[in-house]
Amino acid sequence: MEICIYFQVHQPMRLAQYSVFGQDPNCGSYFDDDLNRKVMEKVAGKCYLPTNRLMLELLEKHPEFKVSYSLTGVFLEQCRMFSPQVIESFAALAKTGRVEFLSETYYHSLSYLFANKDEFIEQIKLHRKEISAFAAPSGVFRNTEAMFSNDIAYLVERLGYRGIMAEGLDHILGWRSPNYLYGVKGCNGIKALLRNYRLSDDIGYRFSAKWWSEYPLTAEKYASWLSSLSGDCVNIFMDYETFGEHHWADTGIFEFLRHFPGEIGKRGSLSFSTPSELVSRIGIRDDIDAPAVTSWADMERDTSAWLGNEMQREAFFALEALEGPVKERKDEALLRTWRMLGNSDHFYYMCTKSLSDQDVHNYFSPYDSPFDAYINYMNVLRDFEGRIKEA
Amino acid sequence: MLGWEFPPFVSGGLGVHCFELTRALARKGIEIDFFMPGGGDGAVQKTEGLRVIPVASSELAPYMFVSKRGMRAGYGDNLLAAVEEYAKKSESAALREAWRTQKKYDVVHAHDWLTAPAGERVRKALSLPLVQTFHSTEFDRTSWPWEAILGIERRAACEANLIIAVSNRTREQVLRLGADYRKMRVVYNGVDQEKFSEGKVGAEAVNGWKRGRKVVLFLGRLTEQKGPVQFLHAAKLVLEKKPGTLFMVAGKGELLPLLISMSMSLGISKNVLFLGYVSDEDQRRIYKLADAYVMPSTSEPFGITALEAMSSGVPVILSKTSGVSEVVKAAIRVDFWDINAMAQKILAVISSPTLGKVMSRLGQRDARLCTWEKAADETLKVYKEAAGK
Repeated sequence: MEICIYFQVHQPMRLAQYSVFGQDPNCGSYFDDDLNRKVMEKVAGKCYLPTNRLMLELLEKHPEFKVSYSLTGVFLEQCRMFSPQVIESFAALAKTGRVEFLSETYYHSLSYLFANKDEFIEQIKLHRKEISAFAAPSGVFRNTEAMFSNDIAYLVERLGYRGIMAEGLDHILGWRSPNYLYGVKGCNGIKALLRNYRLSDDIGYRFSAKWWSEYPLTAEKYASWLSSLSGDCVNIFMDYETFGEHHWADTGIFEFLRHFPGEIGKRGSLSFSTPSELVSRIGIRDDIDAPAVTSWADMERDTSAWLGNEMQREAFFALEALEGPVKERKDEALLRTWRMLGNSDHFYYMCTKSLSDQDVHNYFSPYDSPFDAYINYMNVLRDFEGRIKEA
Repeated sequence: MLGWEFPPFVSGGLGVHCFELTRALARKGIEIDFFMPGGGDGAVQKTEGLRVIPVASSELAPYMFVSKRGMRAGYGDNLLAAVEEYAKKSESAALREAWRTQKKYDVVHAHDWLTAPAGERVRKALSLPLVQTFHSTEFDRTSWPWEAILGIERRAACEANLIIAVSNRTREQVLRLGADYRKMRVVYNGVDQEKFSEGKVGAEAVNGWKRGRKVVLFLGRLTEQKGPVQFLHAAKLVLEKKPGTLFMVAGKGELLPLLISMSMSLGISKNVLFLGYVSDEDQRRIYKLADAYVMPSTSEPFGITALEAMSSGVPVILSKTSGVSEVVKAAIRVDFWDINAMAQKILAVISSPTLGKVMSRLGQRDARLCTWEKAADETLKVYKEAAGK
């Protein structure tokens, strides 16, 4: 049984409070550098730096240990601006040769959902170029928030990818287990790596939940669960901020990680693989069929976290409508701004689902309400539209 | 229960609360004798289990005293005398009722400082547990708290067996009065869905009157605490960007003359409509006209009107210093002093049909969760706790 560990690493470019009554609304930046710096410095101190340090230690101590990441371009840009040592620490991980950096859209965007797919493809290329500065480009693709469908798989397959990440959803799998590789309906051999959401969420969500019957979770207990699984591989995917940020250091999350590779090593039936290794070594068992776009977001696991209400859809279509005008101007700065405005996070903040998921949206949102998020975004977008016309 | 006002003699949240709460409690099979200063008869439709007993005659409303010292001196002594008179008469009425009906009361419930002395007397006369609700404190009603009233409130905070505050915000204020935090319970107000959700005015009539203009509504007493001054300043900014907008100011109060002259000096008097006091029926109609409801209060213990507006499907912009903002999610919250932000949010709400539509829908959903039924359940829990049952 191969264990494939993968972490998503991203920080959005949060917008500044835009004022329609400002003296000169056009002179300032749309982005809140102070806030973005503060968040980056905080999370770097609590999560990125200590976790990378520990990962490097573990990779040196356990020659069989392997992990993979995807770092968004927006994240890397902010590292360069606010916390360059974070990039260095990722580069150090890359040097071990046992860390894979997956491919994705540079701007953590919803660009696949645009009617025209050119922007999606351009952003993938931009990201490849960015990553190749410190690591070999990967043959496995991961769309923003694990958005996946037959058509997405087909498109990235044509771009040369041999594997794609997806959520291991029950309604796609039916009676089948996520612990195998699957082909995708209508494609010609691209393999889908399906997240085992129960085992992933045991760490990502439930690790510090005192109400959970398995609390506290130890590396030994977790390794014993993994060794009792049947299948070819188990895909454990989560946000990197799990370590030190979603679960603070005092929950014991770092101790868990510290002992994890050793506990796996004790069990002969388990070993670590990167996504590319899985794709090369393991054959598919069956095809899955995902006609509609799925994701790992919210309870619905679809696109409703970003496009579920009228405000989100209006904002998204307004952004999409600017693609043509922006690109006609052939102005790199304008294009970059437009792409930054395409961060999926801006739309996530406008989500109005109630109950528990809304709390997650609120937790991550710099806004007081989804309405404020919509107002600010639309004000910025309207101002930006003016800039395009003037350019 | 000891109250001060009841529809149609209502000038604030206190009256609405007593009316709706007693009805909801009565529906749960609780028998209530509701004592209030004269004029109670004919005020309410018959509800089984609820008797309204007028005990003293007074025409003074709870909000008549105001921040200007001169006016307060005029009304003040009268009001204090009325409160004392009400307290004495409530005591004798309670004794009489208890003897006449041979009923055993379980608990006496007083509302605000106006009926607090009455609560204390009745509780002593009949040896009952006393529950005291604070709908507001003197700190909320004026920037110049009156020592005599503060004294009554402090005493009430100390005397009651259990205290109900209408929000966490009000709870904090009552703690300032010296209440023991272990006695404090929070019970939020509700809103009568049926009353506000149905369309009382046809869409055609509304559109005919508005003729394409957007309407922004303020509804409340015209006092410093309700923030009408900020409302007009925000209106001025909005009008710079959207000249046709109409700003309606419903309610009366000591600031009216100032507000009128302010609207003239700001040069926006053509776009500001002062409606004065509006009846219950008119209030429902006004909500139907509004494209945005603004509650810019500097200090709002709860703010039932925000729930009414949401229930009517009006997008709501609330001051963060309001109790209601603790219970509703589908509203935009602003700092009452941040005129720019307030104007910006008003502009967005009246300019974006999408935003207006989503807020209207979600606001109605939010308001549906705030029922008097729930408030009555929670109040009942407090009664049982006070009575040791």
